[in-house]
Amino acid sequence: MAQVAKRKGGTVAMAEVVDVRARVLAANEEAAARLRKTFSESGALVLNLISSPGSGKTTLLEATVRALGGRLRLAGIEGDIATERDADRLRALGIPAVQILTGGACHLDARQVRKVVDEAHFPGFDILFIENVGNLICPTSYDLGEDFKVALLSVTEGDDKPFKYPAIFARAEVTVVTKVDLLPYVSFDLAAVREQLAALNPTGKVVLTSARTGEGIPGWCTLLEQRLAVKRKAMA
Amino acid sequence: MHELSIAQEIYRTSRAAVAAHGPGHLERVKVAVGELTAIEPDLLTFAWEALTGGGPDAGSVLDVEWHPARQFCAACNADKPRAQGTWLRLCPDCGQTLQVTGGQELDVLQVAFLPDGAGGETEGGNGRDG
Ligand SMILES: Nc1nc2c(ncn2[C@@H]2O[C@H](COP(=O)(O)OP(=O)(O)O)[C@@H](O)[C@H]2O)c(=O)[nH]1
Ligand SMILES: [Mg+2]
Ligand SMILES: [Zn+2]
Repeated sequence: MAQVAKRKGGTVAMAEVVDVRARVLAANEEAAARLRKTFSESGALVLNLISSPGSGKTTLLEATVRALGGRLRLAGIEGDIATERDADRLRALGIPAVQILTGGACHLDARQVRKVVDEAHFPGFDILFIENVGNLICPTSYDLGEDFKVALLSVTEGDDKPFKYPAIFARAEVTVVTKVDLLPYVSFDLAAVREQLAALNPTGKVVLTSARTGEGIPGWCTLLEQRLAVKRKAMA
Repeated sequence: MHELSIAQEIYRTSRAAVAAHGPGHLERVKVAVGELTAIEPDLLTFAWEALTGGGPDAGSVLDVEWHPARQFCAACNADKPRAQGTWLRLCPDCGQTLQVTGGQELDVLQVAFLPDGAGGETEGGNGRDG
């Protein structure tokens, strides 16, 4: 420990200097590691969905539940600043869903998810979808114990977003370009988006979907089933 | 919002570091912040001031060490310089796709504090070291 002389109240006080070297989000990371362990013991695939508000996260989940709900046990955790609306939308389709109200916070924290998972008892689900608070920035730093992050980008948001929000697009294993039914009506350069994503995240996957027409939903569901199978195989 | 919750975590970590050495007041906390954390250094220091203001650690300084993200070309085996906040799609030298490396830092590096009752001529000399 170093000491630094410092004048205070007329006398010389010694400030002590301690090297800390601690991750700022260590508490979150610890909770996330515990969640990840819980999820791998139960063999559940867990996704953390991140996008701007209105990109179509809940709508994609509704389409996914319609397509896979008969075959797989699905569950949802919905993060929002206020209202139970999104959890209600999933429950209306017959899957267990818990709303986390963040009361103003712009992201979900692993400790909140931990509490829900401990208390909510989703009995033996196959895939848990965690819909984060609508925000492309803050949720990126908070690991929730997920298998992978999914970034959504709707075609109405503009084709410059990956480079504008590099952190999430660099980290999301899958980017879903949503609302592709609207492509004829907006200027959205898909090739430019693919190029940006390739630069930020060379191993990432890009999926195009429209919840309106159903385009891309089967491919998205296949990806989920494959990832679930890989996780189950790793357990066996 | 984001910066405030990050400042709270930094404060908790710093306080715990001080507490491990006995009672005292924070003077200065040094943190490393990477570009890819999307944390704005100015907003973080404002959040710090708001958080510590009026409390026992009012006036303490949050010192932010900024780490830009790096763009790396595997073909050239070298980092490729870019202006902050801009991104290269391809290596300007060989045309290969670049990778984003570094810039994920978010760490408390060092805490300086004034032990309670410190000041004056004598040194405690109780052999603590960091
Ligand atoms: N045209 C079109 N609209 C969509 C699509 N997906 C979602 N939307 C609309 O986008 C709006 C926001 O969707 P929502 O799922 O609530 O977004 P979230 O905030 O990301 O959960 C709603 O009005 C949806 O009907 C799509 O594939 N095509
Ligand atoms: Mg939603
Ligand atoms: Zn190169």
